[in-house]
Amino acid sequence: MEDLTSLPQVVRGAPCAADAIGDDALLKQFADGDAAAARVLTDRLAPRSLSVALRFLGNRAEAEDVTQEAMMRLWQMAPDWVPGQAKVSTWLYRVTLNLCVDLRRKKTPDRLADVPEPEDEEASAAERLQDAARKDALQTALSQLPERQRQAVVLRHIEELPNPEIAGIMGISVEAVESLTARGKRSLTAILAGRRDELGYDDD
Amino acid sequence: MNWGTTMTEDKDNLDLLFAQAREKRPELPDDLAVRILTDAETVRLERRKPDETKTNPLWTRVLAGLGGWQGMGGLVAASMAGVWIGFSAPAFLPDPANYIYAQDVSFVVADLSLDTSFLEDAE
Repeated sequence: MEDLTSLPQVVRGAPCAADAIGDDALLKQFADGDAAAARVLTDRLAPRSLSVALRFLGNRAEAEDVTQEAMMRLWQMAPDWVPGQAKVSTWLYRVTLNLCVDLRRKKTPDRLADVPEPEDEEASAAERLQDAARKDALQTALSQLPERQRQAVVLRHIEELPNPEIAGIMGISVEAVESLTARGKRSLTAILAGRRDELGYDDD
Repeated sequence: MNWGTTMTEDKDNLDLLFAQAREKRPELPDDLAVRILTDAETVRLERRKPDETKTNPLWTRVLAGLGGWQGMGGLVAASMAGVWIGFSAPAFLPDPANYIYAQDVSFVVADLSLDTSFLEDAE
């Protein structure tokens, strides 16, 4: 049996011939028993899943578990994939976000755990809190958005996906995506502006 | 960065936060990559099992279970030896049939012929 897991340098993005092949074709190759295709797909798709999950959940351990599960579902559905119907990445984003929503509905959010530990031990308690709040300002604000707005904002403004693809991921119209992202941005602006004193930007 | 005092400045600052977030996109940790690829390999190997069953009919798998053609040859030779011993047992071996049927068999012969002597007595 070939040991896939002993070749992290391939996972880290070393160039190979498979890089020129589309996700559709790679998925078919994997379904046909090609182990190397799994490495390229992991390298290509898993970081995107992790990025979205991390921004949606705000918790790294949970985001990593979600990414592993989303990729597991990708491996399992590979033989049933119909090329050309949709982008593999679109499918993976949708599965990732659904898993995130399921996880959040099962568990009460633990937002305090999301604030990163301050690094400067010399700083005063107030300064450390201010620093942590600044670093995490966007994440904290995102966490306060309604679920659908948060999804749309993350996909549009952090993943930089085009609106039609976001519409495909979320199963809504392009107009609905535009409305959600606009409302999401307005909400974020208001949340961040409302925290101006706490963030201490006026003192800079 | 100063959080703006006008709506436009606030939006600009939000765009800046988005840009910073895009720059800090997480890389895939090695241990997570290993977990994902281990899953892929497990799924790939599980998927190959039914194909092997399809390509190998039942009789070839039974044959393989009995030790292949060599095992099958030995099995046939042993069976034939058993048949021959049963058919023509060597003289030094007791005939097992005697153990099964070794009992005195007495035959009671009934005279079922029509006895008419009692008729004669009656006469």
